[in-house]
Amino acid sequence: MAVTPVSISKAVRAGDLEQYVMLTTLEKAMAWTSSNSIWPAGFGLACCAIEMMSLPSPRYDIARFGAEVFRSSPRQADLMIVSGRVSHKMVAPLRQVYDQMLLPKWVMAMGACSSSGGMFANYAILQGVDKVVPVDVHVPGCPPRPEAVVDGLLLIQKKIRSGIAPAYDLEKSKA
Amino acid sequence: MNAEQLAAVVEQAVPGSVQAHGDDLDMPSLTLAGEHLIAVCTYLRDQQGKNFLSAVSGVDYLGYGEEVAGYFGSERGRDINRTGSWGTPETVTPPAARFAVVYHLAHIGEGPTDRVRLQVLTEEGRVPSVVSVWPTADWHEREQYDLMGIRFDGHPNLRRLIMPSDWDGHPLRKDYPIGGEPVQFTDAV
Amino acid sequence: MSATEHASAPVVPLWQPAQVPSPTPSKIDPPEGEDLITVNFGPNHPSTHGVLRLIVTLDGEVVVGLDADIGYVHTGFEKNFEQKTYWKGIPYAPRMDYLAFFANELAYVGAVERLIDIEVPERAQWIRTLFAELNRIHSHLIFLGTSGVELGAISLFFYCLRERDRVLDLFEMVTGVRMHDRYPQFGGVAEDLPKGFYAEAKRFCHDMPLRIDEYLDLVAGNSVWRDRYRGIGTIGADTAIAMGLSGPNLRASGVPFDLRRAEPYLAYDKMDFDIVTGERGDAFDRLMCRTKEMYESVKIIDQCLEGMPPGPVMADDRKHVLPPRHELQTSMESLIHHFKLVTEGFRVKANQIYYTVESPRGEFGCFLVSDGGPKPWRIHFRAPSFVSLQSTAMMAVNRYIADLIVVVGSLDGVMGEADR
Repeated sequence: MAVTPVSISKAVRAGDLEQYVMLTTLEKAMAWTSSNSIWPAGFGLACCAIEMMSLPSPRYDIARFGAEVFRSSPRQADLMIVSGRVSHKMVAPLRQVYDQMLLPKWVMAMGACSSSGGMFANYAILQGVDKVVPVDVHVPGCPPRPEAVVDGLLLIQKKIRSGIAPAYDLEKSKA
Repeated sequence: MNAEQLAAVVEQAVPGSVQAHGDDLDMPSLTLAGEHLIAVCTYLRDQQGKNFLSAVSGVDYLGYGEEVAGYFGSERGRDINRTGSWGTPETVTPPAARFAVVYHLAHIGEGPTDRVRLQVLTEEGRVPSVVSVWPTADWHEREQYDLMGIRFDGHPNLRRLIMPSDWDGHPLRKDYPIGGEPVQFTDAV
Repeated sequence: MSATEHASAPVVPLWQPAQVPSPTPSKIDPPEGEDLITVNFGPNHPSTHGVLRLIVTLDGEVVVGLDADIGYVHTGFEKNFEQKTYWKGIPYAPRMDYLAFFANELAYVGAVERLIDIEVPERAQWIRTLFAELNRIHSHLIFLGTSGVELGAISLFFYCLRERDRVLDLFEMVTGVRMHDRYPQFGGVAEDLPKGFYAEAKRFCHDMPLRIDEYLDLVAGNSVWRDRYRGIGTIGADTAIAMGLSGPNLRASGVPFDLRRAEPYLAYDKMDFDIVTGERGDAFDRLMCRTKEMYESVKIIDQCLEGMPPGPVMADDRKHVLPPRHELQTSMESLIHHFKLVTEGFRVKANQIYYTVESPRGEFGCFLVSDGGPKPWRIHFRAPSFVSLQSTAMMAVNRYIADLIVVVGSLDGVMGEADR
């Protein structure tokens, strides 16, 4: 079921509970439920994977956002967190895992290396994972603090609730 | 045992093997002839107790000493019109051959570790493989073949380890570019 | 020993070739036969040891062939180091082995310090020792937690992460970041310990042994754990040395070799700690070695806190060390030194050195060849995970595939340093 795009000003107010209670539609309800149960497929590659591992830890608990279960199988996952530097040898497995995810799916480029190649401007590292997969949120940092990754997750939640389509849907994601 | 004694003992065991010796900053170092490498390594492992091979490293000396410290010019003075030229001339002598394969050995067991460095110089990049002496050399040699292009004769499984198997070239060689994408900065340090 | 003594000593080969399967122990070819399946343990799999690809041939559930394919996180560190001056290379160093980041930095910084012959003040050595041991605890905690995740015992993971966050709190208090600090600099450490660190660290040292007792309760007494780990991946002492194992992997086989004792560096010669060894060299002994090493690390941290000498934390060598920032506003020479050190970098005489540290994984070595210029000519890191992964095949063959997971986990390999 398609999620109709809404304007940005309405998107800001989309998180308002009264709005839902007053004018709930089926799309908004679905967006609210799916934003609160995004299951990550942690694509842990390098140092950012260690900070991603501390997301379900007792201190930076992402279970409170519904995102605790890191699915091993991409078929069961919604969000691919590319955490770490992507070497050219890894591009094919990465794209294969992305293709195995079911729609709708989101991608978070966690850290500097997956966003842009980071400090490694050389022959071995792909200069930004958005060359192979469409990325919804880039989280800067080397490695980003777990709070920053939680902030990225909250941005994706806001994106879902406001009705903006995931990044692969190029037409609809222009809100 | 310093380099002098070690060289004497090794030369006695395997004549014609030691080309040079010296006490480096941290350990004695021998430069060996490639064809006697396996005999020397077997001797060191069995008679001298070097049972632990730490690392096998390849070094590419192409262009070594040509541009030291960004100095462009002669002994008489810098070429001030050449950008990036600074400093004073400092001469370094490049080794006799382009590639050097460096082995670091140690002793694990009773007594001190007594580390030793062995070096084999090769212009074309071919040395015998020491996998039969220390099986840990397997992946070290594969990695140096992959990244440096140094062939190890006698290695049973010499294929690429780190780079994709269809990669072209040997990245750590000095004539291989750093790669990446061009960015709009001047090539500053 | 003199040359003549060596020559007349009896010939005792220290390594039995028959113990290691030939021709190459790191790849086992499957035997001929039908009903063999080849499975790809792809680079992306839930065991959080990074991107390791194992091509496993199975006869039912028994592993009969194994080949490891690495390089999926190859970053070209060694080439990047050659492009940057020595000081600018420091941020690259911790990102190789991202769990034991401090050990990587120590190896690189220590190698360059030996080459430029700079004397590090004693207080800086003690601070570095303290953080090296904190980093060891951090690495072993993650090892312990992820070894639980592999077996499906996820609760241990949360306990270990709780402690790990406390360790990273201490790092953040001093260096400003949780991981990948650029704290060791040539000539010392970047900044002194702040007020309040002593109290926090003391509290940590008091609490940590109680927590390790908790983990041992969960692990050592657990019959499922023992059954999964006992007798798996056994390797004898001579074979381990021949395969290049070091660190806890080697100590679990009964060899009491620790670089902190054999070749003391930093302030380890002033520390009192025991070397933890195992008996059988199986996966359970490796697990126990690492867990019990955490007790020793806490002891060392305690001694560092108590005996920390006062003094400067940075050498006073303006040709290699950046001047303190407040001087840049008043002194012209400091400004010029700062400028030259940051842009051009200091020169290092043409030399070569192999500097080793005891990383939580084993012997982490930095082989550095300098050419008289401001950039390294060749730098090669001897990564212990790279070496220990070679032993996976001989440990896992003719065992169940579930034991393969345990073997790979017990070797505690980090792919970042294996691929570099």
